[in-house]
Amino acid sequence: MQISLTVNGERHRVDVEPRRTLADALREDLGLTGTHLGCEHGVCGACTIVVDGRPVRACLMFAVQADGASIATVEGLAADDGTLHPLQEAFSRCHGLQCGACTPGMLMTALHLLDTEPAPSRDRIRAEMAGNICRCTGYVGIVDAVESAAARQRELAPEA
Amino acid sequence: MTTTSPAPEPTASGTAVRRKEDARLLTGRGRYVSDLTLPRMRHVAFVRSPLAHAHITSVDVSEALETDGVSAVFTGDHPALASVSLRAQSGLPGYVETDQPPLARGKVRFAGEAVAAVVADDRYHAEDGAEGVDVEYEPLSPQVCAWASPEEITDPVHDEAPDNVLLSRTFRAGDVEAALAEAAVVVDREVTTNRHGGNPIECRAGVARYEIADRKLTFWSGTQVPYIVRTQLAGLLDLPEGNIRVIAPDVGGGFGVKAVLYPEDVALCLMAMAMPGVALKWVEDRVEHLLSATHAREHRYVLRAGFAADGELLAVKADAWCNAGAYSVYPWTAGIEPLMAGGLLTGPYKLAHYECTVRGVTTNTSPSGPYRGVARPSTVFAMEALMDSGARALEMDPIALRRRNLILPADIPYTMPSRLVDDSGAYEACLDQALETFGLEGWRAEQQRRRAGGGKPLGIGIGIYNELTGLGRAASAGPRMAFRTGHDACTVRINPDGAVTVFSGVTSQGQGLETTMAQVVADALGVTYDAVEVRIGDTDESLWGFGAFSSRQAVIGGGAAHLAGEHVRGKALALAAALKEAPVEDLDLRGGEVYMAGQAKSIISLAEVARVAYLQSDRLPEGFEPGLEGTKFYDPIRGAFAAGVQLGALEFDPATGEIGILSWVCVEDAGRIVHPVIVDGQIAGSIAQGIGGAMYEHLVYDEAGNLTTGTLLDYLMPTSGEIPELTIGHVSTPAANPTGVRGVGEGGTLAPNAVVAGAVADALGVEVDDLPVTPASVWTLLQGVTP
Ligand code: FES
Ligand code: FES
Repeated sequence: MQISLTVNGERHRVDVEPRRTLADALREDLGLTGTHLGCEHGVCGACTIVVDGRPVRACLMFAVQADGASIATVEGLAADDGTLHPLQEAFSRCHGLQCGACTPGMLMTALHLLDTEPAPSRDRIRAEMAGNICRCTGYVGIVDAVESAAARQRELAPEA
Repeated sequence: MTTTSPAPEPTASGTAVRRKEDARLLTGRGRYVSDLTLPRMRHVAFVRSPLAHAHITSVDVSEALETDGVSAVFTGDHPALASVSLRAQSGLPGYVETDQPPLARGKVRFAGEAVAAVVADDRYHAEDGAEGVDVEYEPLSPQVCAWASPEEITDPVHDEAPDNVLLSRTFRAGDVEAALAEAAVVVDREVTTNRHGGNPIECRAGVARYEIADRKLTFWSGTQVPYIVRTQLAGLLDLPEGNIRVIAPDVGGGFGVKAVLYPEDVALCLMAMAMPGVALKWVEDRVEHLLSATHAREHRYVLRAGFAADGELLAVKADAWCNAGAYSVYPWTAGIEPLMAGGLLTGPYKLAHYECTVRGVTTNTSPSGPYRGVARPSTVFAMEALMDSGARALEMDPIALRRRNLILPADIPYTMPSRLVDDSGAYEACLDQALETFGLEGWRAEQQRRRAGGGKPLGIGIGIYNELTGLGRAASAGPRMAFRTGHDACTVRINPDGAVTVFSGVTSQGQGLETTMAQVVADALGVTYDAVEVRIGDTDESLWGFGAFSSRQAVIGGGAAHLAGEHVRGKALALAAALKEAPVEDLDLRGGEVYMAGQAKSIISLAEVARVAYLQSDRLPEGFEPGLEGTKFYDPIRGAFAAGVQLGALEFDPATGEIGILSWVCVEDAGRIVHPVIVDGQIAGSIAQGIGGAMYEHLVYDEAGNLTTGTLLDYLMPTSGEIPELTIGHVSTPAANPTGVRGVGEGGTLAPNAVVAGAVADALGVEVDDLPVTPASVWTLLQGVTP
């Protein structure tokens, strides 16, 4: 089936079997391997991306369901000149990643959290991020990073 | 070991420099095997046994071969595979060697064992083909329990071991019976620990490609041990070792699970050799991982300890059974867990009289292998259970009892009853700092308050441990394998432009070794951190490294990096001295510039020295060869013990059994610290895995040998909602190695079992003998005590 989707602002047309997951379409048909797979059954959160403004598990969605959708993946986070997004900066500074396998999903989940709640408490961050498993960090650095990125974003956009 | 040249000012080590790995991993530009695409690549899916123990009576692949997109199907009897077996070898007396086929031959020994492999143009078609493979089985009686009595064994897992025991060894020191007879109190405990596993977020992955023209095999693998894999593959595939290139690029977590050479890996390489020029890719899914990647920690301990009236630990007698699973894990052997258990059971406590018989027992379950902390999360739990029972019997404070028996600085070097030599005396220092940070008095008061005034019962748990890190050739003697892990190599090369490339034998699965090696070399050589690039994980680039296990790489790989950096610094300074006609002993190399003692301005840059070395041989002084690089090996001979203490305050809901962690403190002796944030990250991550094992993670087989926890909906790994805030502290006693570090990769996993179980006992007055501790188990325990 022919579908078209916009990924990080760029339009793509892809020909996919109806059973192909969105994660496989992104990773294999579009070469966007930043979106990772950790379980392929919707539990670990490694494949989290943002589809039409909502966080979604790319392993649980068929590519055909994304026909016409606008998708954000980790590859679109940094600016075109390579400047890291405040969340990426904070993850590096706070050691919110080790092996990086869970990181794209963590970043996209956190991106959605900060878009909807500019000043989450640590408990809120822990609750919101609890759909993503990290096997390396023990979460301390991840919670620190999201908290610190939120503060930084509030500094950058003080109008609220 | 110490430097004789003027020491460079350490600028990189000890600071939290930005990790070299982060830029690519944060932007989706990591290079994982799972991401690899090659021209003409095909995909592999394995057909796995649904039965735990059965004869294979027939395999029909005709329908699979008809399936769209399928190009080949392999079975265990295929000529490319039929003569190859993985045979984990050990010279230990009485060890029973057994074969593991790359794909099952004749019989299957656990549910999930690979029976056939389908090659197709993508994973979807490979899985379609796998559904078309028809295997007929004739069931045998399965055995899942490693401590079943011999009469219960009808069909042994391997004919070579009729009692299913692959290995048994007794550790002995002193006279246990006599010491027990003199003890003021004798306590008995019988404990079991729960099977669980590493579960890195990136599952196992491999791509193999064979070029027949030059007989060269390239194997991209998410392995922790690329050099061991190359050596073992050379033997198994009958290729010269130099014709095999193993590449471990970015790896999404390992924790020991990826320190194994798996039958699937070997099958993939053998199939690639049968299909020259075609790259074959296998990326397992989580269901396969839970079924067939190595498990760990299913142990039983029957223990007896004797204490003197003043609390002195007089004797420990133990019997231990470790479930080795269906095969002796390759190449480590079924001895990996039992030998570690017997060698380190006594932990940080002084003891003269010890007798411990350990066994590795084969069963019809997925093989057990190395998992972060190997055996010691179980042994620390067992030992601390004895300590708590001893304290209760003596009516002594449990912490005072422990303190009474700790190995102290004055005892160092201390020969443990297993004859391992402990070089750490930092247990009491860690304990004091942990108690203070934790605020023991405050928690005891709160406990009393709740006891008197109501509120959820609160308990305090403790675990004290010694983590044997950076094992040198003398300390890694235990398993008597065909290879002795002790050394790593590092090459430091100064490029013609003066920048530095480091070829290190270490590998990284998230530990940030690119960063740590760059820091060590920058300081040893005298250049900035930014001037150093590190290449790891490619056997064609770096000379040698045993890989990531036993918390060895910072100690051993770091030692080699330091020595190589120092060596090349000496070369560069000698050349600079000759070029500038200055006495070499007056020269210093800092930040990539050479300085003369007492002068503020540099006399020559490293870049210019390098330019002469490579590009201007006309300027090379007499006696100097072109080029500027050097390679050094390092072996610490023994190891560096790292002391650690963890304390937790936990509350329990008597109505539901629900467990809440109120405080968690860890103090470790990491020696000198190269990157403080990476070190704390290792400790936090390993504590989280330890808490997972203590409270959530449990791989459960039913009696027929079916894994009943086959997805992440049943196998629970802790999230940010379960892991509490962790308070991590340090004492620092530098170890006697070039960088002074002690390993930190595993220590954190060792205590949580003991802390959680100890807290239950402290809060509720019930002994916890079986792990994991769950709301259901707490509730059940409470039914025994409350009316
Ligand atoms: S891969 Fe999608 S949730 Fe795990
Ligand atoms: S950084 Fe490795 S799983 Fe999170």
